[in-house]
Amino acid sequence: MWLISLRDLEWRRRRFVIAVVATGLVFGITLLLSGMSSGFSNEVDRTVASFGADGWVVPKTASGPFTTSAAFPSSVANDVAQISGVHEASPMVLTRVTVPGSGGTPTDLVVFGTVIHGVGPRATTGRDPRRSGEIVTDTKLGRDVGQTVTIGGKRFTVVGTSDGRTVFAGEPTAVIPIQDARAISFADQPLATAVVTHGAPQGAPAGYRVLTTTQAAADLRRPLKSATGTISFLNVLLWIIAAGIIGSIVYLTVIERTRDFAVLKATGIASGALFLSLAIEAVVIALAAAIVATVIAVGLHSALPMRVEISTTSYGALAIIAVVVGILASLVGLRRAIGVDPALAFG
Amino acid sequence: MTDQQVGSTETTTTDPAVDASAARLEVRDLTIEYSSGGYTVRPIDKFQLDASGGELVLLLGASGCGKTTLLSVLAGILTPTAGSVRVGATQVIGLSGAALTEYRRKRVGIVFQAFNLLPSLTASENVQIPLRGTGVHARVARERALALLDRVGLAERVEHRPGDLSGGQQQRVAIARALAHDPPVILADEPTAHLDYLQVDSVIRLLRSLADGGRLVVVATHDDRLVPLADRLVNLTPRRETESRPPETSDLAAGQVLFEQGDAGELVYVVNSGTIDLVRTREDGTEELLVTVAPNGYFGELAPMFGLQRAATARAGSAAQVTGYTMRDFRAHHSGSVGDLLRGAVDATEGDV
Repeated sequence: MWLISLRDLEWRRRRFVIAVVATGLVFGITLLLSGMSSGFSNEVDRTVASFGADGWVVPKTASGPFTTSAAFPSSVANDVAQISGVHEASPMVLTRVTVPGSGGTPTDLVVFGTVIHGVGPRATTGRDPRRSGEIVTDTKLGRDVGQTVTIGGKRFTVVGTSDGRTVFAGEPTAVIPIQDARAISFADQPLATAVVTHGAPQGAPAGYRVLTTTQAAADLRRPLKSATGTISFLNVLLWIIAAGIIGSIVYLTVIERTRDFAVLKATGIASGALFLSLAIEAVVIALAAAIVATVIAVGLHSALPMRVEISTTSYGALAIIAVVVGILASLVGLRRAIGVDPALAFG
Repeated sequence: MTDQQVGSTETTTTDPAVDASAARLEVRDLTIEYSSGGYTVRPIDKFQLDASGGELVLLLGASGCGKTTLLSVLAGILTPTAGSVRVGATQVIGLSGAALTEYRRKRVGIVFQAFNLLPSLTASENVQIPLRGTGVHARVARERALALLDRVGLAERVEHRPGDLSGGQQQRVAIARALAHDPPVILADEPTAHLDYLQVDSVIRLLRSLADGGRLVVVATHDDRLVPLADRLVNLTPRRETESRPPETSDLAAGQVLFEQGDAGELVYVVNSGTIDLVRTREDGTEELLVTVAPNGYFGELAPMFGLQRAATARAGSAAQVTGYTMRDFRAHHSGSVGDLLRGAVDATEGDV
């Protein structure tokens, strides 16, 4: 049945190309959306992992280290350091600021105030801040080492950079000494928004709780839950649209080939073979569309303002889903093909 | 319907691959009815046929007389209303599922009127399809296809698509396709209908050679050029009475049927006394009164005139007497032209029975 299917596709090549391009565009969009969704998830994992922390201590009333502005005395870090399992504990201040971006457009920046040489993110190029007025920024901010950033009226010199450490769907992060963060957010009061530890605390001071790295990541991921849910929903819709496109093409083919199917049945070709023929056509269209989609996604993903991270698994999954979509789409024409009366062959 | 043996079967060479017993065809009391416009039509009524391998059987008759319908039944594509069809040891009626598919594959090869080749495939691929569709290896299928195309004289055209072939060449490809599984019976539906006289020659010779090879070849046609090559003629059109014969007078009691819808029609009837109701049976079994014919009126003229079956039942509405005439005698006594006759039929509101 390969022969009939491939020859028919060749025979109706213009329609085949249209179907492949249309379905490829849809598949391409699903790949990009999946890449966006993966980007949201991966940025959380990268940013949380950059702290190298084993535990996150926050007030019991706080939702987590990244989504609360509840402050508490920095001295709690000393109490945490005494808890069994903790090798090192450092207070941290998280604050969100706006800095002038390229072209004067304001850019949101999430700033982590950490203890110099304490527990916290490390620069991937350059060096970490050693004194007040130094900052490590993510490359997404567009500042190179040696340039300056003004936060809350204070000029910071970029001494190092990181890459891919963004939060909340692409907001860049920065690391400054904790005393500078306190000056910006708490008027130099000795406060913190979280305590990060090396070593997993076996308990927490009264009124506080310990979050694992996974729980901390979940806290950072939570604000994007509705966005990722919407993307997943859109992806399902797009798969259905792709199946609809292929199904329509297959159905049109069946209508046009009614006489052919009648002849095949009259000459003893089993219904199963007819289904196989249709399924092969649909799957070939879907797989060709998957290739087009891959080209589109590879070509466009870096041009999008948001970080789109399409994994190898996603490409593999697309191929599998394309086969499933193709088979489902061929079912649309199957009933009609099987229902063709072979007597039609006699005209 | 007439079944006429045209001399002995002149089998010159018998293909040893064809089992003569497998090509034996027996049709018994075959009746086919179908619905048309809300009425039940019975083109084939208690049809009988016996034929053997090596014979070329022609099914003759006007359009609509049931030739193609009969072929469909022989091909296992249409289930008849009643009767039996046996091909070799296989009782065709009642086959279903895999057994029916196997019958269509291996026991009969079909040649269609409009060739019905797949336009996207080459000649070779069209012949390969029945084989590859049943799991035959591609290489074996191709070798078989090339051999068959060589046999039908198309060895040089194997890679051409149907659109690049003449009608005669396409029909020869169709014949090669029908031979793919080497079936003992070949059924051909109007194989010369779309061919000019140059193309007809090769197709006719090919069909004859298939029969000479030991196969049974059944051809539905109204092409008289095939008649001299046939071993058996089956005329599916009711025989028209062309000779003069004495009028037949019948006395009918009220409700008595003179003839049934679907019967062969030989005589035109004139009502001498009483009334005759012409009724047509609908698909659901109910009857529709078409017209009541009064004394001196006539009915039943179209069936004998055109060799059609009775399109309605004639039943006495009251005690009646009718006289039946052959068409020749009726026209001798009828003062009007044929046109007047037909108009009379139309005026009688479909009393054209």
